[in-house]
Amino acid sequence: MSAPVVPLTDAPGSVARQKRSRAAKAPASKQPRQPVPHLGAILAFVLPFGTLFALFYLVPIGYAIYQSLLVIEREGTFGKATEVFGGLTQYILVFQNGPFWTSIGRVLTFGVVQVPIMLGLALLFALLLDSPLVRGKKFFRLAFFVPYAVPGVIAAIMWGYLYSPNLSPFSAVTENINFLSADLVLWAIANVVTWVFVGYNMLIIYSALLAIPTELYEAARLDGAGQVRIAWSVKIPLIMPAIILTAIFSIIGTLQLLAEPQVFRSFSSAVTSTFTPNLTVYSTSSIPNFNLAAAFSVVLALATFILSFTFLKFTQRKEVQ
Amino acid sequence: MRIKKRAAAVALLTAATVALTGCAAGSTTSAGADCAPATGKVDLTFTTWIPGMEDVAKVRNEKNPDVQVKVQTGPNGNGGTYQNFFNQLKAGNAPDLGQIEYDALPNFRVQDGLTDLAACKGVLEAKSDFVDWTWGQVNFGEDKSVYAIPQDAGPMAMFYRADLFEANNIAIPTTWDEFAVAAEKVRATGGYITNFSQSDINQFAGFVWQAGGSWFKNDGENWTVDLTSPESVKVAAYWQDLIDRDLVSTNPPWTDEWNNAYNSGSDWTWNSAAWGANSIASGAPDTAGKWSVALSPQWAAGDKAAGNWGGSSTAVFKGSKHPYEAAQFALWLNTSDEALTMLNKSANLYPAAKSGLELPALKAGVEFYGNQPIYDVFSEASDQVSPDFIWGPTMTQVYNDTSDGFKGAVTGSGTLTDALTSAQKSTISALEAQSIPVNK
Repeated sequence: MSAPVVPLTDAPGSVARQKRSRAAKAPASKQPRQPVPHLGAILAFVLPFGTLFALFYLVPIGYAIYQSLLVIEREGTFGKATEVFGGLTQYILVFQNGPFWTSIGRVLTFGVVQVPIMLGLALLFALLLDSPLVRGKKFFRLAFFVPYAVPGVIAAIMWGYLYSPNLSPFSAVTENINFLSADLVLWAIANVVTWVFVGYNMLIIYSALLAIPTELYEAARLDGAGQVRIAWSVKIPLIMPAIILTAIFSIIGTLQLLAEPQVFRSFSSAVTSTFTPNLTVYSTSSIPNFNLAAAFSVVLALATFILSFTFLKFTQRKEVQ
Repeated sequence: MRIKKRAAAVALLTAATVALTGCAAGSTTSAGADCAPATGKVDLTFTTWIPGMEDVAKVRNEKNPDVQVKVQTGPNGNGGTYQNFFNQLKAGNAPDLGQIEYDALPNFRVQDGLTDLAACKGVLEAKSDFVDWTWGQVNFGEDKSVYAIPQDAGPMAMFYRADLFEANNIAIPTTWDEFAVAAEKVRATGGYITNFSQSDINQFAGFVWQAGGSWFKNDGENWTVDLTSPESVKVAAYWQDLIDRDLVSTNPPWTDEWNNAYNSGSDWTWNSAAWGANSIASGAPDTAGKWSVALSPQWAAGDKAAGNWGGSSTAVFKGSKHPYEAAQFALWLNTSDEALTMLNKSANLYPAAKSGLELPALKAGVEFYGNQPIYDVFSEASDQVSPDFIWGPTMTQVYNDTSDGFKGAVTGSGTLTDALTSAQKSTISALEAQSIPVNK
């Protein structure tokens, strides 16, 4: 899962988007327009971010869209390729590509099962850490978080070893149950992703829990609520925004699964070169067919955006109710 | 006012985007047809995955202070280095020299990534220095062009556990029919005669090569894709039968499980190339001294044919500012006794240069193989490799798609022949998508 990278680049964008829309509404109510104070200072502070944001975010996106609109023309078996504008030709190929859509279906299945399990565990651990009953909080906080410090590729290699039929230290199990078979490999990968990211999500949720004012707990206790009731009726509703945030990160990460299946591909017969959407992009760019790979990427980005946005809208409406 | 400013900012960003993309797209400078030596000091970069290349470059750097070659290492070609090369070519910052296997050369040529070295001093003349079929791989059958300098070849033979065959009184198979019979006997002892490579498709291609097939044809106007040629289907049916009867293991190649199968004596033979000598020695260290090498089993008794697996060349990428110096380095690297001896020692490379075949290092017995002079076998196999096997312009895709199908076949969904049929179809689409002319 490329989640550690993707959400980090994505999050400032979505936060910025929200802020921008709020900012756009606010001044509309105040009629007299005043010159912006400290304009130079603002620009000076924004410039480093703006430059990097443009260079490493906007320009690559623009370049990918530009590439996806080109097609290659050449003459002869070794003719020099020229890129010409091809409109939506590459996108037609994307929508005709069966394995790509199968892989989207596969990661959605993955997400529907894995994300709730992972976030459920993360929430449970965060609540346990936050409850006054647990001792050794510092130790557990670190212990849960340690897997996240292991690079995804290394985690996948390590688990691949644990799963391997003959070499695994648990070969009594793996000889009888082949975790790398077509039936199980998706869930074997889900286990790796869960192992890595539970601690990361736990930490986000836990820090939200720490921000809750303790008076609320006192009030709840005075009303006769036990720890479980406090967790259910006070804590969880208050940290809902954090849970939604981790859910969106996870949805994005799921659609962008690459490292784990890429590693598993070398030792599992069930992982093909089009197992996940990002593997398809990778394989296509290694043909190399950069234009089609760019079109795949743009479609994948749109799918990710639509899914995250729908989830956000859905949960926000629920919150209002 | 604010709106105007925002519009201006957007315009500026758009302009920056266009400028950046524009320069990326337009920066495909070519080296030009002439190939003249540079004046002054030259720094060259060379990306390779061959172990020990740094030491070889160091030897030459010390002798030629004016041309310094810096070696960068990466994973093997299809393991990621080719992808890097393609990306670097697209971005216009490819290294001067690159390690490219023969099967990937057409791919790089179609992407306009290779410098034609024919104009560089000594390159055309070097033709007679190399084993014939290897030169055919680097000039694509064109007399006036040379797109890379051959480095090594991968004539295939059969590595086998001499001790196990002898102890169990099983004859060393000389035909594929005998191989299948031996496979049953080996299985009866609990082992497997060999491992079928489900994801390194080069081994299968080598089998097809030996059987006299070829996967591609190029008549100058159109490519023909021939993954389902009669020879190819024959080889597929043969191995499918062994897989169906559980007579061969199917561990994914180059994994710990695969090494373990050889190291523990569960797998008895490996049909592989000369450089494979190194892979066994490093992957199955506990079996030292127990291996021997014989010529590959034949399709008909008395035939003399060998396949080829791998082998690579040193290419000069488009965009290199010093094609002359790069070409001279590539010639020295692949023809001098000094370099070839070092490469054989560090990576078991089997030279493509004729003179390299006479090196003392290639005449001696090899300890891991019970002091058998194994390169004599590979030398004989090398003479039997057909020069007619042609690689296509999208081999990475062909391997991916074939492997996707083969992986299914070894786990019981579909057959090897189904995999070839589906890869045939997807390969034609892949060529069409790049406007590479192809017969349907």
